[in-house]
Amino acid sequence: MDGPMRVLVTGGSGLVGRAIERVVKEGEGREGEEWIFLSSKDANLLSPEETKAVFEKHRPTHVIHLAAMVGGLFRNMRQNLDFWRSNVFINDNVLQAAHDSGVVKVVSCLSTCIFPDKTTYPIDETMIHNGPPHESNFGYAYAKRMIDVQNRAFFQQFNRRYTAVIPTNVFGCHDNFNIEDGHVLPGLIHKTYIAKKEGKPLVVWGSGRPLRQFIYSLDLARLFVWVLREYDEVEPIILSVGEEDELSIKDAADAVVEALEFTGDVIYDTSKADGQFKKTASNAKLRKYLPDFKFTPFREAIKETCDWFVANYDTARK
Amino acid sequence: MEKQQAGQQQADGPMRVLVTGGSGLVGRAIERVVKEGEGREGEEWIFLSSKEANLVSAEQTRAAFEKHRPTHVIHLAAMVGGLYRNMRQNLDFWRNNVHINDNVLNMSHEFGVVKVVSCLSTCVFPDKTKYPIDETMMHDGAPHDSNYGYAYAKRMIDVHNRALYQQYGRKYTAVIPTNMFGAHDNFNIEDGHVMPGLIHKTYLAKKEGKPLVVWGSGRALRQFIYSLDLARLFVWVLRNYDEVEPIIVSVSEEEELTVKDAVDAIVEGFGFKGEVIYDTSKSDGQIKKTANNGKLRRYLPDFKFTPFKEAVKETCDWFAANYETART
Repeated sequence: MDGPMRVLVTGGSGLVGRAIERVVKEGEGREGEEWIFLSSKDANLLSPEETKAVFEKHRPTHVIHLAAMVGGLFRNMRQNLDFWRSNVFINDNVLQAAHDSGVVKVVSCLSTCIFPDKTTYPIDETMIHNGPPHESNFGYAYAKRMIDVQNRAFFQQFNRRYTAVIPTNVFGCHDNFNIEDGHVLPGLIHKTYIAKKEGKPLVVWGSGRPLRQFIYSLDLARLFVWVLREYDEVEPIILSVGEEDELSIKDAADAVVEALEFTGDVIYDTSKADGQFKKTASNAKLRKYLPDFKFTPFREAIKETCDWFVANYDTARK
Repeated sequence: MEKQQAGQQQADGPMRVLVTGGSGLVGRAIERVVKEGEGREGEEWIFLSSKEANLVSAEQTRAAFEKHRPTHVIHLAAMVGGLYRNMRQNLDFWRNNVHINDNVLNMSHEFGVVKVVSCLSTCVFPDKTKYPIDETMMHDGAPHDSNYGYAYAKRMIDVHNRALYQQYGRKYTAVIPTNMFGAHDNFNIEDGHVMPGLIHKTYLAKKEGKPLVVWGSGRALRQFIYSLDLARLFVWVLRNYDEVEPIIVSVSEEEELTVKDAVDAIVEGFGFKGEVIYDTSKSDGQIKKTANNGKLRRYLPDFKFTPFKEAVKETCDWFAANYETART
């Protein structure tokens, strides 16, 4: 490739896109590089024509593909068809337009929730296709898995090195803080904020015992930029804190309570489902490449996210 | 509520059946069995070929559905090819097939088609698995590396069917045949499947007075299903099978045959008298891919498959009589 990168980030206005935008501005960007952050207002990537047009307009050399139809557990369970169809076509449109316009590298975003439901732990990058995903979100999960299939097919047929990353539970600024539709950490932050404001107990769904690996969006962003520049495999790479840094939901609730200085009661509502007890992912491959990468300490990341939420409550997605 | 309503829908009056890929091996077999007695009064059977509509195109697929207004669909159309073409073009096999399948299923849903029966294959099952395979095992691991583009696209038909059922109550399903053979097969030696390839080779060996050279040791095991038997079962599935989960359509495990058994039947079918050589420098492929037909037998304990040698003889006779126009 001649000259600096021109990077198109699809889904640029979401949690991860905004984090990448921030780390690029704060030092990860290099001289002459151009970073273009797309949102769904710029192009409906479900349309092959609109997708092609946006590639013709921006002429990217590199793509970070974050755009997806996403939603919480309950919406997924009701709309597996929409999640399957929308995501398979967004992905096909982006990957094909990238190929047709000669993009050197695409890094797409998968998720550990697409891994087999019945599996041994920790999961690693070789296990993605070893059984069906959880029934609740199979439409979304299969569509994401098919990114990996398509990447392998592009490599086999055209020698393209398009790849994907697999983050664990991402959280940070610009998350979806909707209590019903969002993920566990932003949901907890929103609930704790409301409990403090209204002087009521914080009710956490489930026992608090399930374990999760949380990754701060700014750490993920730095790793995305590294993958875009340096990671040369087609096989995806898990981007996660180590297995030893797995935390329980109670640990997370405690950190949120501390950050928001909530002093009321915390109640664990065990009539609600715990979800999967653990989804432990191995970050051995990442550590082989980046043995010295430092993740932001969890409580510090939580504090920054809570502060952001309080300061942006009126405009945050909730 | 919508799910319940959709599930209870029944076509008023006789079926109007659109068969995609109607000019292929299975499509032609269905056409024949429908004409020979499986069709019912007032039913309309429309056999679509790629000349009429390129189903990779959403617009052309929609136009075909608007024109024919089917109540039922048998979806056979696919980008298919032999082992070597698959290995070189996994992307094309993935993309073309996922688009064809999405277009057909999406138009079926949109036009209120009551039932769709799609066609999968045992070659889409996990490469590393225990045998016999059954209908529950399709997603339990990666398919063989040689044809993963085609395999995943076919697996995604099952995902799409389940999603349509979960969201709209549609009961669209699929059948999973084992190795099919019969008239109108692809007899290309390089690009076709084992049975038609062997038929073509034996035909040439007889004509040219040369030995028949079979690739591999002849020890690999396969379950062969005659296209006319498969056609009868497709019609039964369309009328009577009410599950979303696919059904394996195959002779039983004990009727598994070696490639040598198949060769012997073809040699007999053509009256070939020359030498048969097994070229063990060529790969045997998978030694076995045994599929369990337990589910089929629970539904149809008395279904009679055509005896293998009879089916091979009929296919050899068809090939010899149609050599000039057969796909070779």
